[in-house]
Amino acid sequence: MSSNFGGKRAVVTEDAAGRRVRGGSGADTPPPLRPRRRGIGWAQRLEIAALSGPAILMFVGFVIFPVLLAAYYGFYRWKGFGVPTNFVGLDNYVTILQDSSFHEALQHNGLIVVLSILLQGPVAVGLALLLNQRLRGQSIIRVLIFVPYVISEVIVGTAWSLMLQTNGAVNDALKSIGLGSLSEDWLANPKLAIWTLMLILTWKYVGFAVILFLAGMQNIPEELSEAAAVDGASYWQTQRRITLPLLAPTIRIWAFLSIIGALQLFDLVYIIWGQYVASTAGTSTMATYMVTEGRNAGNYGYGNAVAVVLFAISFVIALVYQRFVLRRDTQGALTEGQ
Amino acid sequence: MAPNRTLAVAAVLALSSLSMAACGGDDDKDSSGGNVTMQLWENATTGPGKAFWDKTAADFHTAHPNVTIKIQAVQNEDLDGKLQTALNSGSAPDIFLQRGGGKMAAMVEAGQLKDITEDITAETKQAVGDAVLKAGQVDGKAYAVPTSILPGGLWYSKDLFKKAGITSPPATLAELTDAVGKLKANGTPIALGGKDAWPAAHWYYFFALRACSQATLDATAKSKTFDDPCWTKAGEDLKTFADTKPFNDGFLTTSAQQGAGSSAGLVANHKASMELMGAWDPGVIASLTKDTKPLPDLGYFPFPAVPGGQGDPAAIMGGADGYSCSAKAPKECTDFLNYLLTKDVQEAYYKGFNSLPVNKAAQGAITEDYLKAVLDAYNKAPYVSQWLDTLYGQNVGNALNIGVVNLLAGKGDVAGIIKAVNDAAKKG
Amino acid sequence: MAKPGKDSGWGNPIVYVAALLLIGLMLGPVLYIILGGFRTNSQITVDPAGLPHPWEFGNYTDVLTSETFWRQVGNSTIVAVATTVGVVVLGVMASYVLARYRFRGRGAMYALFAAGLMFPVTVAITPLYILVKNLGLVNTLPGVILPQIAFGLPTTIIILVPFLQAIPKEIEEAAAIDRCSRLGFFWRMVLPLSVPGLITVGILAFIGSWNSYLLPLFILNNQDTFTLPLGVQAFASQYSVDTAKVLAFTSLSMIPALVFFSLFERRIVGGLTGAVKG
Repeated sequence: MSSNFGGKRAVVTEDAAGRRVRGGSGADTPPPLRPRRRGIGWAQRLEIAALSGPAILMFVGFVIFPVLLAAYYGFYRWKGFGVPTNFVGLDNYVTILQDSSFHEALQHNGLIVVLSILLQGPVAVGLALLLNQRLRGQSIIRVLIFVPYVISEVIVGTAWSLMLQTNGAVNDALKSIGLGSLSEDWLANPKLAIWTLMLILTWKYVGFAVILFLAGMQNIPEELSEAAAVDGASYWQTQRRITLPLLAPTIRIWAFLSIIGALQLFDLVYIIWGQYVASTAGTSTMATYMVTEGRNAGNYGYGNAVAVVLFAISFVIALVYQRFVLRRDTQGALTEGQ
Repeated sequence: MAPNRTLAVAAVLALSSLSMAACGGDDDKDSSGGNVTMQLWENATTGPGKAFWDKTAADFHTAHPNVTIKIQAVQNEDLDGKLQTALNSGSAPDIFLQRGGGKMAAMVEAGQLKDITEDITAETKQAVGDAVLKAGQVDGKAYAVPTSILPGGLWYSKDLFKKAGITSPPATLAELTDAVGKLKANGTPIALGGKDAWPAAHWYYFFALRACSQATLDATAKSKTFDDPCWTKAGEDLKTFADTKPFNDGFLTTSAQQGAGSSAGLVANHKASMELMGAWDPGVIASLTKDTKPLPDLGYFPFPAVPGGQGDPAAIMGGADGYSCSAKAPKECTDFLNYLLTKDVQEAYYKGFNSLPVNKAAQGAITEDYLKAVLDAYNKAPYVSQWLDTLYGQNVGNALNIGVVNLLAGKGDVAGIIKAVNDAAKKG
Repeated sequence: MAKPGKDSGWGNPIVYVAALLLIGLMLGPVLYIILGGFRTNSQITVDPAGLPHPWEFGNYTDVLTSETFWRQVGNSTIVAVATTVGVVVLGVMASYVLARYRFRGRGAMYALFAAGLMFPVTVAITPLYILVKNLGLVNTLPGVILPQIAFGLPTTIIILVPFLQAIPKEIEEAAAIDRCSRLGFFWRMVLPLSVPGLITVGILAFIGSWNSYLLPLFILNNQDTFTLPLGVQAFASQYSVDTAKVLAFTSLSMIPALVFFSLFERRIVGGLTGAVKG
């Protein structure tokens, strides 16, 4: 990932309204009372070490190290018991890249990534705008929208799969209100299943997006909208011209997390469709492929290789995203000045 | 280098050496002064099954006061993963549930199981019989003892059969197809837990059992390829049967045993007339009935004969639950295994799990007539095969199961099953 | 934000109707879960969309009176609170470094944390278990807390860095003029100003920990140390699952996480209004 934080040193200005600079130029000012010199002083280095040290230590120890070890297993054919002994080099990777089931899973992931952003984004922005006003019952509504996110994935999966079974609650309810003709095989029909999945995902994760956007909106000073109101702007114009652009960096961060999350999607699909039916129904993902062909088949080396491939794909997409999308945040996307 | 990067590298090195260094055996067993403590991992987390284990461990302690057994109940689906991790990290339990087949072979290859060939006593061999003990062997050496046999067949509702005008259980495939037609007309088809794949695959396994000779089945365990034409015939038989649409609607998303809405639940509540399952089914069905008591009209009949095959029409397929000792377990472990197979303990096992004990004397204690029917079919069978996915290992078994699901969903064909199995060899 | 004072007249009814519809959709499945706990398995199979008939209180009362349940609530709370505190503290310190210091390797450090997001936990679990075992933390709550903190850092840092970057330089310069050190600035000004961000990541960390199943499953053996998600195991016997009890159990398990959220969500909207004026 390119080092984009801090970017170019932007001009600092203050105008009458005390506008803030959005974006990453915060760290560039040389502190006025410290001796100017190239590079950073030892005091700063110590501060950096002290502040970030614990996090880095924990992270490298508990996350990076297991990950590296898992990647190492990917070069072996290993049944999971004892020490891996059958070194096969890149064979696992070749098999993965040639496997049509993997290609299908990759396609499904791609679809899920795109649909997640298209479906959840606008809905969440709308909701956040709604909830940022002073409404009666605002707090309760916020809690209720967030409830699906609070429920664990396992239970969400169990409940939805019970409800969406052919002889389950949804079809039953449709029948009882006379709309029996609308009942479908929500889960196993390959044309419908992916949309069912998107519905459930949106239901569960829109709360997460709303929370992030709400928090992001707090950074937007009220003075701006007040000034706009003074200038005669309507509510919607204010939202479109002021709120949304200022919310854009938060939206971009949310989109990043959403993309990565969609690429790694596992729990919901696994609980609802199981490891076998997912590919038949058209909802298999790279992660379910990994568990089906890896751990559940006793092919631990192969499974670890799939994990590395999944990692590589996510990493590349993240790099591309950083370079082309998030870079905007660090170059003073807002024009400041008068 | 910026200080944080140096730190990061140092951290990796430090933590890696820390974990590598201590990777030796972790001995939390106390075997000093004759007092032995052993860890037992089993999969009954609740109910009479758990009670059975608690009592058995206590009784063993009474008989051998210097031996204490600590029980760890792990949920069935999670047991394999936890066990594998524990075995690899050197902190395995002493006694644990063994599924057998390819998994057991992999553990043997990694040297993680104790060879107990010499430790099975003569009394045990006589009480159980050599044929059953074979289930716990790899290449002629014993690594596990089976504690229960779970043959498969069709579990049906006698009342629903009577209502559809079926007087006796079908003995041939033609009779079965005919019966299903009548039952479907009453709205009670065959229940199938397609979501878990193996229930669907079991239909294929049984067709294969009828189509292939015993020799072919055994040879495939070594070759792991489905080149013999009998495999294709089995697939075609299944397809012909499946084309009559005998299964419940939405079987692809019906689970086999996971509570309400499962195929067992359908049978328990008379929404389906029968299902092809192993001998654990009565217990599962009992937990899902309206009053959570055993289904009063439950019956059993073995898989019918299929024309044109090389397999014996009375052959039966089933699994066996067993227990193994880990490689580092003390010798009291095998004492416990022999104890598990004695008549009284086996009778208690049958009562706790409602499944067939292996001890022949204990089998006399069975009262339910459906279990008696299973035992009868089992004893009459000229040979018994283990479930094919157990026999051929998870890798092939998984691919086979998925292939069958694809066939039943219309996404694949018979040739697809063969191809999936042959391709699986590349991944593992 | 636009104060609805003047135009709340016509906007509000539509808004309320939309809100009500939305809530209905959101809560439908949740109601299914809660009501499911009042039925038996047989009822659920036979009449999937129906109301409990008769109402079966046994499932809920069994859970509420079982001492295991409360012990598990306690364990889950300890783990979740410790994880949240750890993640927030370590996360904000590291995010501060990433957001406001300039040094070579900053990009690499950010990349390091972001990379942690991209590896599926299901694969890392086996080597992680070995590490935890060698630290002697198997079957202890810290053995779950420490890895959870580590796994929670990437999301936290990714969310907090923009928040901390948004704090205007003017404040930092003002603090420097007042002879406040960088650390003092961090402690006195940055932390209070970033409260909405901190609360957000705190909530996410708490809920992530509360629902976490895979890690505790592998690390905890003794039933006394089980957290709530593991408690579901008690309702799944060797071959079957008591769905109705599971639904009752999970309905009750949701409550503390919801309470935590509702206590803190007001602070998200607390805001930076008026923090910088002239």
